[in-house]
Amino acid sequence: MSKKIFIILIAMIAAFCSMTTVRAESSTTIKVWFSQYKSENEALEQIAENYRIETGINVEVISRINIFNAANDLVNNSQLEDRPDIVFMQAPDIGGLIKSNVITNVNDYLDIEELSTRYSSIALDAFKYNGEIYGVGYSIDSYGLIYNKDLISEDELPTTWDEFFETAQALTVVDNDGVVETYGTLLNSKDIWFNYPIIKTYGGYYYGQFSNGDYNAYDIGLNNQGMNDYIEMMKGLMDSNLILTNKIHTESEIVSRFSNGKVAMILYGLWYSSMFKERGINYGIASLPDASTEEVSKALTTVQGFVINNYSLQKESAADFLAYVLADENQQLLIEAGNEFDEKLGTRNPANISVINSVYIQSDTILQSLSSLNDECEAFPNIPEGPIWYNYTPQVLQTIFFGENSGDEVNTQEKLDELVAKIAEDVQLINFQAERIDMPDNIFLYLGLLVIAIFILMFTRKKIQLKKKNIHSKKRLFKSTILAWLLMLPLLILLTIFYLYPIVHNFYLSLTDYSGINMLDYGVIGLANYKNIFVAGLDGLVKMVIWTLCFAICVVTLSFVVGSLLAVFLDSIHFRIAKIYRIIYILPWVIPTVITLLMWQGLLETEFGLVNQFLSIFGISNIPWLENAQWARISTILVMTWFSFPYFMIVSSGMIKLISKDLYDAAKMDGANFARQFIHITLPLIFRAMIPTLIMSFIMQFNQFGVYILTAGGPSSDQIGAPGATDLLITYVFNTAFNTKRYAVAAAYSVIIFVFVGIFALTAMKVNKKRMEV
Amino acid sequence: MKNKFFHLLIHIFLVILGVVTLVPFAYILMISFGKSIVGTQATIPKEFTLNNYIRLFQETSFLDWMTNSLIIATVTMVLSVVFVSVSVYVFSRLKFIGKDKLFNFILLIQIFPLTLSMVSIFKIFVNFGLLNDLKGLILVNATIASAGLVLLAKGYFDTIPYQLDEAAMMDGASRFQILYYILLPLAKPMIAIVSIQSFVIAYNEYVIASTIMTEGLDSMPLAVGLQSMISGQFGTNWSLYCAAAILGSIPMIILFYALQKQFIGGLTEGGVKI
Repeated sequence: MSKKIFIILIAMIAAFCSMTTVRAESSTTIKVWFSQYKSENEALEQIAENYRIETGINVEVISRINIFNAANDLVNNSQLEDRPDIVFMQAPDIGGLIKSNVITNVNDYLDIEELSTRYSSIALDAFKYNGEIYGVGYSIDSYGLIYNKDLISEDELPTTWDEFFETAQALTVVDNDGVVETYGTLLNSKDIWFNYPIIKTYGGYYYGQFSNGDYNAYDIGLNNQGMNDYIEMMKGLMDSNLILTNKIHTESEIVSRFSNGKVAMILYGLWYSSMFKERGINYGIASLPDASTEEVSKALTTVQGFVINNYSLQKESAADFLAYVLADENQQLLIEAGNEFDEKLGTRNPANISVINSVYIQSDTILQSLSSLNDECEAFPNIPEGPIWYNYTPQVLQTIFFGENSGDEVNTQEKLDELVAKIAEDVQLINFQAERIDMPDNIFLYLGLLVIAIFILMFTRKKIQLKKKNIHSKKRLFKSTILAWLLMLPLLILLTIFYLYPIVHNFYLSLTDYSGINMLDYGVIGLANYKNIFVAGLDGLVKMVIWTLCFAICVVTLSFVVGSLLAVFLDSIHFRIAKIYRIIYILPWVIPTVITLLMWQGLLETEFGLVNQFLSIFGISNIPWLENAQWARISTILVMTWFSFPYFMIVSSGMIKLISKDLYDAAKMDGANFARQFIHITLPLIFRAMIPTLIMSFIMQFNQFGVYILTAGGPSSDQIGAPGATDLLITYVFNTAFNTKRYAVAAAYSVIIFVFVGIFALTAMKVNKKRMEV
Repeated sequence: MKNKFFHLLIHIFLVILGVVTLVPFAYILMISFGKSIVGTQATIPKEFTLNNYIRLFQETSFLDWMTNSLIIATVTMVLSVVFVSVSVYVFSRLKFIGKDKLFNFILLIQIFPLTLSMVSIFKIFVNFGLLNDLKGLILVNATIASAGLVLLAKGYFDTIPYQLDEAAMMDGASRFQILYYILLPLAKPMIAIVSIQSFVIAYNEYVIASTIMTEGLDSMPLAVGLQSMISGQFGTNWSLYCAAAILGSIPMIILFYALQKQFIGGLTEGGVKI
């Protein structure tokens, strides 16, 4: 029997070792990180093969899971032996990379002037930073005026924004009961991405621009008169059926109504075009209405293109291959593959002018009109401060348009001023550079040694106390100690590598200036990050700690009780039926949480959610499950309990098997009913055996990120940047730190939380041990 | 009579909970068969189609992802069972210096959310040459699973009376024999739980996998592949995602079904009593 196990183990180890993939390593191979689309990757591989035949240089094309990770992964991989040379990424991501010296400017390697004659100007502008070009665009991801041809013909399309609103109002059809049959348009008042062209028309803007086209993060135009005018105008339209009336609805609601044929015009991209097609919507895309006959309105655009790794060992060869890829005929191959050839999906909108003029694009009305919008684009700011607005504008605009949570209206100007002040503050934070402290080179080694020393000290203290005992038992203890530590060694090594090292390293990071503009070359700045946290951030956190503790304790207790109760119930009924129940009950545990959380979000919807519809049978009217702060808290606790009760059910099922029947028999003799047996025998016994697990679950709930998918931390607070009602400590502090890309501050937060929860857990263990001993 | 009424109550409770559990799942199932669904509002599709499942195999690398995840999860499961069985024996049956501290140490280090220090994790994987390698994911998942499940298993093991060990020791059994022939068979429910939970952990792990596996669409585990389906720049096809989620959870349901008998059905007729 034990032989069999032994053989299995050996086989496992052998299989494990053979799984190593052998990588061909050659310094002359250019490595390109490319796309998530199979045909597009194949097209680039074909191009690479042609290139190899012409030049003899090998190119390796690597498919990637998605373009959003490109910047982060490049930072991680930029200096590895096996590093990518060319990376396909989004232009808005380049700011931090440039500041951290991760990508190189391509002025010296590519003929920019020649490229600018063959490419739409936005393809290069989007990658322009400090007057230098850092990459070349390949596909332009923009939006325009998407319209339903059955509701509005091409000739009727508005040319100015004033006309746009007039036409939209004229097209809106309301039936006798006040139900809207057709919307002229639908806008999301909380959005400023798709509404940006309108905002600009009124004179509001996000970041101002220097004369060379660079964005100036210190010039924020979201509280000027123009912005005020825009808000006044939108407020005037709130009752006109042109604006989403439910404050939690977003673009997806607009798209969904458009794809049902209910909306004539929307400001959107072609991201859902296949859905429109499937649903038989006869749609078209046209250029945005303009501010006036002289002033063209431009859509905020993300350009996807190629950059070169600054640490590439062969920048020149890489650039040479890049130039080859950028040749007209190769662009044609790529774009056709990217749009799935004859399917012409619209997934890739060419930046190359020759491709735009090709039959492939021109013969398709959608692709053709999409590419004709290229001149009406404004690149999304590629500075590191770019994404800041996103964190605050929806919340601020919600309070402006829908009032505070109490229902009170707010003063627009005050709120906008507050918004701009907050953005400006974050801009400061992003650019704040603390003074570095000179450290010996091997600081890390010392730190490691220190930690090891602490551990040795911790474990040897007991040895000294034991000296009093007699020699015989001491010898036995010594023997079993060696055996125990030997047996634990493999796991301990793994724990050191995968847990202890990250903790120590994280502590080190918390002492540095590691940030979004300093991703590679960070240095030690001492305790500045901790100082920042304690000076600036702690006042609001106490409330959050209380809520987080409350949340974690509630979820663990509830799921433990429900789980054990279920285990007992299932034990008492026929085992075949119990089997079926168990399979059902483990579903929350095994289905990807993302999708189940989204389902719950839908089910808990106030107006149409199934839960409220069901409750209305009993005369309970609309409960704002996710919209009201208190209800949202209850919802998150219940939903998270729903996720974790199966685990406790299974664990308890195993545990109750060990409880002696005698105990129950004795209890029955005493006349204890089922409930009493459960409370006085089952629960305490299971509880005692499960204390470490319960503490672990508590920790896991404390570090719970799932809540965020359900409520996004909301309902949001009236105060900008303050935690929402269901924001947990960890999601909130990390959001605030990551919004400003201060990764070192995030590291410092995690150290603080670690210490806090650690003390909590240790105390719990100690209390428990004392209780067990008594 | 009273008993019957009580049983009825139990069944009502079980059915209600069953419905609460099944409703979100039913929606996922319906959406997975739905035609052209926009958004994730839990709606009932108007038309049904098998198309999403077909597309899953034709257009995405679903099969590769699933294979990768199955390899990772299975090996992780075996490793975790071995690690947990050994360590739980150590903690539950051996008296040794530093025992409480070691136990607390294992508990404490897990407080630190690994997912938040991906820079450090990445460095480790680079140093050990484990980047873009399923082996690395197996090791890290096995560590995470073992560390968490040791705590659970200890609670269980402690409830197995020590007299059994002593009796066997009298008969001249070695420590390994006691563990293998006496304790582990008695701890079958625990091993089943450890197996399932470690499998689920490895199968669903996303954050580390997405940082470590940077190259090649086909070499991703399922969780990363699934996530890529909803974070694309183009409109998410939720039907496709739901289809993948349903198919993806089947291995775990099968595993659970197969191991279920380990923690139900008259197992404890023997001498084990608390």
